[in-house]
Amino acid sequence: MTLKPAIGLFWATAITMAAMSAIPAGRVLAQDKTVKIGAIFPLSGNAASAGVHAKAAIETAVDIINNAHPELGNLPLAKNAGLAGLGGAKVEVVFADNQGSPATGQNQALRLITEEKVVALTGAYQSGITLTASATAERYGIPFVNGESVAANLTERGFKWFFRVTPVAADFAEIYYEFLRDMKAAGAKTDSVALVHDNTEYGTSVSSVITSTFKAKGEAAPLDIAYAPNATDVQSQVLQLKEKKPDVVVMITYTSDAILFAKTMQALDYKPPMIIADDSGYSDPSFIKAVGKISQGAFNRSSWSVGPPGSTTALIAEMYKKKSGDEMDDTAARQMQGFFVLCDAIDRAGSTDPAKIQAALKETNLKADQLMMGYKGVKFDDKGQNILAAGFIIQLQDGENYVTVWPKASAAKTPVLPYKGW
Amino acid sequence: MGKAGDARERADRWRAHRCFRIHGGHGAKGAFAHPASLTMSIILVQVIVGGLLLGAVYALFSSGLTLVWGMMNIVNFAHGDFVMLGMYVAFVVYTLFGAGPLLGAPLAVLVLATLGVVVYFGLIRDIMKGPMLAQILGTFGLALLLRYSVFWWFGANFLSLPANIVGGTFVIMGLRIEASRLLAGVVALLVTWGLHLLLTRTSLGSKMLAVSEDATAAQLMGIRPDSMQAIAWAIAAGATGLAGALIATFFYIVPTVGETLGIVAFVTVSLGGFGSVPGALLAGLLIGVIESLSAYLIGAVYKDIVVYTLFLCFLWFRPQGLMGRS
Amino acid sequence: MRRLVWPAVALAAVVLYPLLLSSPFEQRLGALVLLYAIAASAWNIVGGYAGQVSVGHVVFFGCGAYAAMGAYAHFAWSPLSGIPIGVLVSVAIAAVVGVPTLRLSGHYFSMATIAVAELIRLIVTNTGYLGAAVGLSGPTVPRNIFDLSFISALPYYYLFLTVLGITLGITWWMANSRMGFYLRAIRDCERAARSLGAPASRIKLAAFMLSAGLTSVAGALYAMMFGFVDPESGLGILISVKILIMAALGGAGLLFGPLVGAVILVPLEEISNNLLGGQGAGLTFVLYGAIIVLIARFQPGGLLTLIQRLLKRRKPNPAPAVAAGASHAP
Repeated sequence: MTLKPAIGLFWATAITMAAMSAIPAGRVLAQDKTVKIGAIFPLSGNAASAGVHAKAAIETAVDIINNAHPELGNLPLAKNAGLAGLGGAKVEVVFADNQGSPATGQNQALRLITEEKVVALTGAYQSGITLTASATAERYGIPFVNGESVAANLTERGFKWFFRVTPVAADFAEIYYEFLRDMKAAGAKTDSVALVHDNTEYGTSVSSVITSTFKAKGEAAPLDIAYAPNATDVQSQVLQLKEKKPDVVVMITYTSDAILFAKTMQALDYKPPMIIADDSGYSDPSFIKAVGKISQGAFNRSSWSVGPPGSTTALIAEMYKKKSGDEMDDTAARQMQGFFVLCDAIDRAGSTDPAKIQAALKETNLKADQLMMGYKGVKFDDKGQNILAAGFIIQLQDGENYVTVWPKASAAKTPVLPYKGW
Repeated sequence: MGKAGDARERADRWRAHRCFRIHGGHGAKGAFAHPASLTMSIILVQVIVGGLLLGAVYALFSSGLTLVWGMMNIVNFAHGDFVMLGMYVAFVVYTLFGAGPLLGAPLAVLVLATLGVVVYFGLIRDIMKGPMLAQILGTFGLALLLRYSVFWWFGANFLSLPANIVGGTFVIMGLRIEASRLLAGVVALLVTWGLHLLLTRTSLGSKMLAVSEDATAAQLMGIRPDSMQAIAWAIAAGATGLAGALIATFFYIVPTVGETLGIVAFVTVSLGGFGSVPGALLAGLLIGVIESLSAYLIGAVYKDIVVYTLFLCFLWFRPQGLMGRS
Repeated sequence: MRRLVWPAVALAAVVLYPLLLSSPFEQRLGALVLLYAIAASAWNIVGGYAGQVSVGHVVFFGCGAYAAMGAYAHFAWSPLSGIPIGVLVSVAIAAVVGVPTLRLSGHYFSMATIAVAELIRLIVTNTGYLGAAVGLSGPTVPRNIFDLSFISALPYYYLFLTVLGITLGITWWMANSRMGFYLRAIRDCERAARSLGAPASRIKLAAFMLSAGLTSVAGALYAMMFGFVDPESGLGILISVKILIMAALGGAGLLFGPLVGAVILVPLEEISNNLLGGQGAGLTFVLYGAIIVLIARFQPGGLLTLIQRLLKRRKPNPAPAVAAGASHAP
């Protein structure tokens, strides 16, 4: 073993690391005309697909805010370049990778707050990471606006600096219940429901809330088919469904498993009369590209709808597609909406003082036409939860694009039953 | 296959028990009235056949690993990522030439075998001299390097080959068998047989075995250990690339898929016995069937618990695996 | 006297670090380094000194983490009270698992430890009492000092430093005791050691149990610092691999090897994430992986041996000076 190259390597590594650690400290601090916001997302690991899309969505939002976009109607901050309330200051987002780990998420939150001196944070996709990262923000008195994590406990901690814009599991359960009730009235059979879900905190929390909501409303308890995520094979679960023949199958799955389920259902020639997906996997553009054609007629829960050409949402979708290369999906749209809500509050606060931003957030009262999402509005209760969050049911009618089919008032097309598949 | 037979007996008892509960004992429950038990036995056979096919796939991507592990005592934490690379080669071949595994698989073998040689001379040869820890360290770093280089180039999106790239689904006596999985299963058998023949019947194979048993003695006999080990590594990597290209026909493709598959390969290889390619086949089939049956009978969240428990119990009673050397 | 210069400098650097580099992030980074050093040093007892490469040590780490968080979540006790519970449970697990598993040779042993860890993780994921997939949280607002929930990382740093000192002290004492003597013999050639009368099985089991208990303390401290544990972060295989490679990179079987490994790997990962992570192109891990590959390739025995050799070369007298901590027979 030659010693010299090893010594050289050692010193090279040591010096490189010393140099690297010096760089952040040496960076130029934010100028007065820039508002720095931190964004923590999974930019590596299993959830990287969602995180990378989130990044593209937020970058699109930054472009909309920092430049004049009068064509985007009532969307706050679109008309002018920059934040009018701060004299045209530009928004700058510092992205951080949470690597799928609550510890890393928390460390990055700390770094963004203490080193990058961000005035607010957004993120972090995985509920467990949102939990730890927002705990740090709470300690330091920095507002944390979350657009997409659904775990119930996030707003049960008595935090004063945490705000959540997205609807949560209880809202989804209501949506499914009402939708099934309307479908039943229109003649579909919806007596037996099966919930196919993974045993992550997402899958278990959503499925248990749906079960308890349905039972509370007097419906039969749904059949529960749980599985471990990132499965290598889902044949047994599909065979169980084939055997039990439920009228409605609700899929609460992430992308990888959603793709596997679609393929396996085709292989085993299983077509439930109705499939409702709980966003997530079935909304991922990768899912549509990979197995959209064999999942025609799948319903999905979404608060995002592209809308007619030329509408604000369609224009936003175009801008997003230019940046990311993919169609806008519900999760990325919710993250983008959360970011807009945050920036709107900063604008109204007219200051980068976290306390003023917090106060502005508390007073948020956005109307439906000021949003890109289909919420009824944005207004936070004293737990930090948006009480006007709402959703639609969309359907993958041609295997390529989702169209809104429910509620009737917002529907672009009527629901098509039964599930076509391929 | 004693173990599979036991599993089948247990399954039959379970089936009888369930039929009793649903038809006889306590009456059918509401919306889920149960069809005739004949359908159920077809479903059970479907589960087992599916498990065998799944297990064959496990064996396919584990055969390369058992080769290097047994011959060179290398713990390769980057194995799953070699499979992933094979999958991406198949994807690139499809994107560029529109061709399926007929072109994708041989190219994957070629690309991965080349990579195997590069990795051997670049890293493995040096860490082999070190303790097992150095191998874990080095191959772990390699895994990250490979995984995230692919991530950097291809992005984080889930990719997929078109569903019908290898025919559709055969229906035989009510059983549904995907052509792509059947192809992978058949190739698994061929690869196992081929590697076994290579090791036991060819002079190259006996040279490789000689080097693995005692490198110094082999050197004294005129065999170059370096070349043999590089060849072994190339063959193993090639087999892994082949596995990846075939799996890509029915599985999704993403940079992190190596994590999921890697640990399955580890369990398969150790159950089968390090170094035994037929052992890996047997172990793979066993694990596939046990997994599918427990998922169907007990619940999919418990299937891995069953596999790991059985695996541990097995190791505790037979520490050299199914067909490993004592 | 000159022999003590470098160790003294190193000690001073370690003790004064959070006061010299006092930004919150740097202090927290330091605390994290020490935390992993504790876990890796605990692993070192069975993986380095005894030569039994366990790749499932996270199960003990998780025991401690879950015990700490569980004590708070279920009984509203201070998470500190979870430490003895965690230690007891992990030592029990080590005893139960160790007896049949330590009989297995080399790689089979490693695979069995992976299987045990994964098995426990899967069971916990399906156990509501332990939080299932949602996990358990600690106190969001500390009620008193015993909740160990500080904003600043400074108290954590010195607490972990103390625990690391105790861990290394125990390791040093063990290595220089009869047990350490037997372990070296077993590591070199178990059959020979047995034939000479070393009670190999008992010694290996003792090392395993000791290592398990100390690892669970590390896990409990981790949970207290981050205030949260779930099956992935507390029982995931990545943690096993991380503490293992830290010990390997620094030098397994050497007293300060794991610390050196932690000092290099933890900041490397954090800093490359800071610089490259935000781009979302995966470059963080390309860099991290590449550096690990380079180190493994050029210094398979660990970096501490390199450092020791460097220090020896600088000394003018050829006396076999022993760098701080290396306590194994030549």
